[in-house]
Amino acid sequence: MDLQLTPEQQAFRADVRAFIEERLPQDIRERLRAGHPPRKEETVRWQRILNERGWAAPHWPRCFGGAELGQIERLILMDELYRAPAPLPQVFNITMLGPVLMKFGTPEQCEHFLPRLANLDLWFCQGFSEPGSGSDLASLRTAARREGDHYIVNGQKIWTTTAHWADWTFALVRTDPEARKQAGISFLLIDLKSPGITIRPITSIDGEHHLNEVFFDDVRVPVGNLVGQENKGWDCAKFLLSNERTGIANVGLCRERLDHARAVAARMPQAGGFLIDDPKLLAEMAALDAEIRALEVTNWRFLLTPSAQQEMPAFASVLKLKGVELQQEINALLARVAGPTGLEKRDSDELEHGPLVPRYFYSRAASIYGGTSEVQKDILSKFILG
Amino acid sequence: MQFELNDEQSALRDSLARLLAQRYSFEKRRALADSAERHDPAAWGQLAELGLMGLPVSEAYGGFGAKAEDILPVMQELGAALSLEPYLPMVLGATALERAGDEAQCNEYLPPVIAGESRLAWAHDEANGRHAPWWVQTTAHREGDGWVLNGVKALVLGAPLADRFVVSARLSGEPDQREGCALFLVDAAAPGVQLRSFALVDDSAAGELTFSGAQAVALGDSTDSKRVLAAIDHTRAVGIAAICADMTGAMQAAYRLAVEYLNTRQQFGRYIGQNQALRHRAAEMLVSLELARSMAIAAAVAADDPASDGAGLDLHRAKLSVGRHARQLAQHAIQLHGGIGMTEECAVGHYLRRIHVLDQLLGDGDAHAARLASLLAASPSA
Repeated sequence: MDLQLTPEQQAFRADVRAFIEERLPQDIRERLRAGHPPRKEETVRWQRILNERGWAAPHWPRCFGGAELGQIERLILMDELYRAPAPLPQVFNITMLGPVLMKFGTPEQCEHFLPRLANLDLWFCQGFSEPGSGSDLASLRTAARREGDHYIVNGQKIWTTTAHWADWTFALVRTDPEARKQAGISFLLIDLKSPGITIRPITSIDGEHHLNEVFFDDVRVPVGNLVGQENKGWDCAKFLLSNERTGIANVGLCRERLDHARAVAARMPQAGGFLIDDPKLLAEMAALDAEIRALEVTNWRFLLTPSAQQEMPAFASVLKLKGVELQQEINALLARVAGPTGLEKRDSDELEHGPLVPRYFYSRAASIYGGTSEVQKDILSKFILG
Repeated sequence: MQFELNDEQSALRDSLARLLAQRYSFEKRRALADSAERHDPAAWGQLAELGLMGLPVSEAYGGFGAKAEDILPVMQELGAALSLEPYLPMVLGATALERAGDEAQCNEYLPPVIAGESRLAWAHDEANGRHAPWWVQTTAHREGDGWVLNGVKALVLGAPLADRFVVSARLSGEPDQREGCALFLVDAAAPGVQLRSFALVDDSAAGELTFSGAQAVALGDSTDSKRVLAAIDHTRAVGIAAICADMTGAMQAAYRLAVEYLNTRQQFGRYIGQNQALRHRAAEMLVSLELARSMAIAAAVAADDPASDGAGLDLHRAKLSVGRHARQLAQHAIQLHGGIGMTEECAVGHYLRRIHVLDQLLGDGDAHAARLASLLAASPSA
């Protein structure tokens, strides 16, 4: 047993760290460190820099512009990006859609879209959730009716993160209303500039606009934008939802935010001293550090050990549950560290105090999106108890 | 990185599991807990035959030179079986003796330990130190050719079953000073050694040792403070790793009992394992178990290779994290059993008893959190 990186892996870490050090624009680093989520422009700017090394799409094959990184190298890259902190490769393009196109798409779709996804020439968003279909995704009702060379799409998506920034969406639509639930669903790529699409903002509890409703009213989508076979879109969706395991634990994010909490506490005055001198806070941060380490080692153990995966096929749910719990605890801690100085509403460019309290509010979403914590526990208990 | 047991480790684990299944049923274990000896001498002999006593001892003295990672699966099985055998004190005593003693002493005292004929115990903690890793008020001074000890050692695991104690005592300085101590070997039958023996709340045998001018042999060069410090630190590291492993074995067993119960107990005309509230509790237990298993590995690696990345922090992290998850899991397991889980004749409650004892040994969660906090304050991103 050992927990060491090989010399090659250590060299890779040093290479990534040096690259980020040299190339990450300081303004992006500062905004992210303060706690702001990256703006569209910041993610695009940085992803194009990463793309020079193939690190915009780290696990994709080289022929599609990726770097063919293995599990551990991907983890190292993500850890270093979080540590910087720098924006991660845009998740809808890179982790979600790209691999689906490679597995189910036509050669023409791959050739057209993959380089644009990697370079963020196109920004995709995910059109899965609907008002009536949250955890029960397969109950979705947005319909696509075949009419010659087009599908005519009608319906509504909701909770669509970054739809207001996006050029396209990949959407699950019902193409066979007669078939049972999962059977009649197709996976469509839809240009959001198409006539008949309306995007409405949803302001979340942090006072920000991340989420949207997307309405489809007789939207014409060329048949060539179907991915995989008609009525087999559920296969694409299942593949998409199950193949992202490497980043699910978000260990690097937890560690960076905990370090930030320590830094904020060190300059936060409290009754003549500084908050960092409070032994209760220190013990709490130590306990969080121990849990982050436990998650990190568990993440490595599952991702790198085939026998551990066989023993526990539902391991991704363990990682998501614990990762989310830690993210939420650390964000709550940051909000408490910010204390009364965190109460003032500040604009989204403010760097000195940062949006620590709004980020805490928004962190509550982590146990809702990507499979709620209750759904994760259902998955685990099915594994445990049948 | 590598997380799996090697073939030898798996083979030893399997042999031990078979032995314990045959010899250490829960009913048998309950009878042992009520017996005068509080352990099974026959089982102890079989553990020695399996080679367990030689595990922590170097090949040079007839042992196997095993590392903490080799002891990990052994401790997991012993924890799962709720073993009352004084294996942990033996590991601690043998580790300290070999690290501190000179070659002649190791040749004299270790082979009988490996054969299962001599039993060691580790006498370091004192009541006034509570969870301090280092608090030695017991004193040693020269008398003629030898040494005599005066002082009290609290909570010596396996003391009533041991014939020799490895004892830390002070030659000079204040109780919390790391310098000025040495390690001694004391014969249990020596004049001036008084043992008050008792059972711990998990039914294992322990005792309080009072030394009043007790004759002692200094292990190694008693003036070599550095060597003594290293021996004690290493013994504690091996002990923390072993305790974390034991706790994860106990967790695994308590988890299995709870899952089995959920799938057999019926209420309101259906298995209680069909209720989502209970199912989710089982899922939370599994998360705790997996995290603890990971940290038990991290603790073993840290004990074996103190120079590896994060090793200095990982022992504290592991003791803290495994202890919390183990307690949480054991409490859940009792809850899922309902009333029967509260009874002494049901095994599940014994896991909480064992875990509570282990959590309190070699520094509890709070003590390790405090130590970890000060290390992190010195270098946050270590």
